[in-house]
Amino acid sequence: MTLVWRNRLWALAFALALVSSGMARAEEKIYVVTTLPDLADIAARIGGDLVTVESLAKGIEDPHGVPIKPSFLPKLNRAQVVVVMGLEYEHSWIPALLSEARNSKIMKGNIGYIDVSLKVTPKEVPTDLSRAKGELHPAGNPHFNLDPEGGRLIAQTIAEGLALNFPQHRATFEANLKAFLAQLDAKIQEWKVMARPLRGVKFVSYHQDFTYFADRFGMEYVGTIELKPGIEPTAAHLVELVQNMKTEGVKVVIREPHFSEKVPTQIAAQVGGQVVKLPIMVGGVPEVKTYLDLIEYNLRTLLKAAQAAGVTGKV
Amino acid sequence: MHARSRALALLIVFAFGLGPLAPAVFAEEKASELENLKKQMLQMEEQFRQLQRQIEKLETKKIQEVEAKANAALEASKKTFVSQFNPAISLGIDTIGSYKSNAQGFNPGNGPQAGARINNARPAGADFNLRSAELFISADVDPFARAYATINASADAANNDEATLSVEEAAIVTTRLPYNLTIRGGRFFADFGTLVHRHDHDLPFVDRPPSLDVLVGGEGQTNGVEVSWLAPTPFFLRASATVGNKFGSDFRDGVSNLNSRPIKGLTYLGRLQTYFDINDDNNVELGGSIAEAPSAEDVMHTGRFERRLVGMDFKYRWYPLGYGVRQSLTVAGELLHDVGDADPLNGGPRRDVLGNPVRQGAWGGYVYAEYRLSKQWRPGVRFDYFQLQSEPLLVTNPFTGLPASTLNATGHRTDNRTWTAYLTWFPSEFQRLRLQYNRSDRGNAQDANEFFLQWTAFLGSHSHGFSERE
Repeated sequence: MTLVWRNRLWALAFALALVSSGMARAEEKIYVVTTLPDLADIAARIGGDLVTVESLAKGIEDPHGVPIKPSFLPKLNRAQVVVVMGLEYEHSWIPALLSEARNSKIMKGNIGYIDVSLKVTPKEVPTDLSRAKGELHPAGNPHFNLDPEGGRLIAQTIAEGLALNFPQHRATFEANLKAFLAQLDAKIQEWKVMARPLRGVKFVSYHQDFTYFADRFGMEYVGTIELKPGIEPTAAHLVELVQNMKTEGVKVVIREPHFSEKVPTQIAAQVGGQVVKLPIMVGGVPEVKTYLDLIEYNLRTLLKAAQAAGVTGKV
Repeated sequence: MHARSRALALLIVFAFGLGPLAPAVFAEEKASELENLKKQMLQMEEQFRQLQRQIEKLETKKIQEVEAKANAALEASKKTFVSQFNPAISLGIDTIGSYKSNAQGFNPGNGPQAGARINNARPAGADFNLRSAELFISADVDPFARAYATINASADAANNDEATLSVEEAAIVTTRLPYNLTIRGGRFFADFGTLVHRHDHDLPFVDRPPSLDVLVGGEGQTNGVEVSWLAPTPFFLRASATVGNKFGSDFRDGVSNLNSRPIKGLTYLGRLQTYFDINDDNNVELGGSIAEAPSAEDVMHTGRFERRLVGMDFKYRWYPLGYGVRQSLTVAGELLHDVGDADPLNGGPRRDVLGNPVRQGAWGGYVYAEYRLSKQWRPGVRFDYFQLQSEPLLVTNPFTGLPASTLNATGHRTDNRTWTAYLTWFPSEFQRLRLQYNRSDRGNAQDANEFFLQWTAFLGSHSHGFSERE
């Protein structure tokens, strides 16, 4: 009798376990880890209800200097895919984490490693690699997310990457991509009109991260506060920069949120210009919650600053 | 315009009764119209040609632009194509100018070697030292493993400052094992504590904390095998177990080719570490380590001894996400307890009244705080303390006639305290200058003041691994 009961209990437990595991599997979402919040926002749009997305870095951080937190490891260990910007954007932290995460699926070169720079034509590819030129990105400037056309390439690459990993959901990813791109395209048309007064507006920024943005909207990059990429300015460099700004008539100084406002404010005062704080990632300022917000916010803020400085071009 | 003026002219001609002249005017008019049409055609043709030329020019410009972009990308990739299978290579140059009022390492005990210089490769007084020219090489071996080596040459004061070459590390690491496991084999700095497995030039200070130098024996080098495991927990939890020939570059456990070595003669190490984010800007790391050699060979003297070292470490970090790169705080430390057998010649073990050796254990450790003032400037302070295992002055017990221990001359246990202040300047990520002052109170030996100026540079790919993270 007891034996029978025990058997029945076992059978019940087994059935329960089967059902619960089946249910868990049905509810289980694809776990996507991205390095930066822009990628998380776009991946969430492409993945829709099928995915749970988490970004390791937050928008206010210096994307080149994200601290290597051990708490990232359990996330990368469980990740089914990892989405990175590529072009060595995250070189100071992501390789060290991936080599310790014990998840060969998402190691560079495997399909779980989605590098969104693959479709991008990189700008400012150095022809001469020397550390005398600062902390160079050997594959070119990685800040292509600031150009909305870059956003299109990011979305396409993520959709392809997800479909490669989860072919059973290809149709969903493609439909979501289409919806996102339709929205992005409409916005791009709007932004092109909105950005007309920025055409020919000259500016400097702290770090060389607005290249793709400036090229898209016809602005002119005159220089950076940094001596070289990743190298803090010297006094002589700042004197030269201010001189150059005066000759060129530069009135707009862009400060990325992770840099100190002291030097940008000083040089803006010297040329009688405006400092404008522009996020380079989603979440860089509280108002920017999505990728579309990011481009819109940057354009609107720049327009306001350019108008205030009296340097807008003809519409 | 033209037609209207012509009509006006005709009207005027008729009005003035010059009718008979009209046909001639018409004929002339037709000829000039044809002429005009011809001219216009030619003009249009010319315009068309100009437009065509402009289109061609634009097209070639676009093509040239694309070509320029593609060429730049190709140029950049060519440089690495040929060397793509070459490993990543970096060279660290670490040079130190110093003034020390006394020799840095010494034996502060009362034993037969009291005052002798130990752990001390450099002279007292003024000195320039090329501490290391360190070559670091790493690459993937195949889909299953990667490997790395650190080959170091440091100026050897005992050899007229000629640089002696040594293999500090050369290890193979698996990359595809299941169950979150990784195996490392070869020669490597064992997983014990936090600063023990750092290379000298990667320390936050000029010198290794004296407690680690004495209790571990410099860098925690071993030859052996390590298995590490990342727990599949939502928080970070990592464990490792190592078995090796020895632990510590300069420690007396080691290996000789004279004696057969029992399994108990090997050194066994274990470590457990975890980490918590208090919030986005504050985090804490905790760890515990043990090294046990049940019957280690004493290569400095003769015979065997038990080595048992336990350690606890912590690290607190305030690193505000928005501006941590230029303003942050690190407070970290390690506490070690050596409960093994004392060094027989370096004072020997403590003895009870019957002359039997007694294990009394020795504590040691350090704590430091470093504040980042900007991307370039980081001042810090450190305090270090350690006791020696083997401290007693041996006397003869008048009652038993056997050797017995007394307190040392000062009436206290022999210990060492070092207070340190330092300032580091980073012109870039790859270059560093550091000024440091040490004040040491050394038991009953002479106190010491030490000044250091360190200049360090890295060539090539200097990326930090997970265990060398800040």
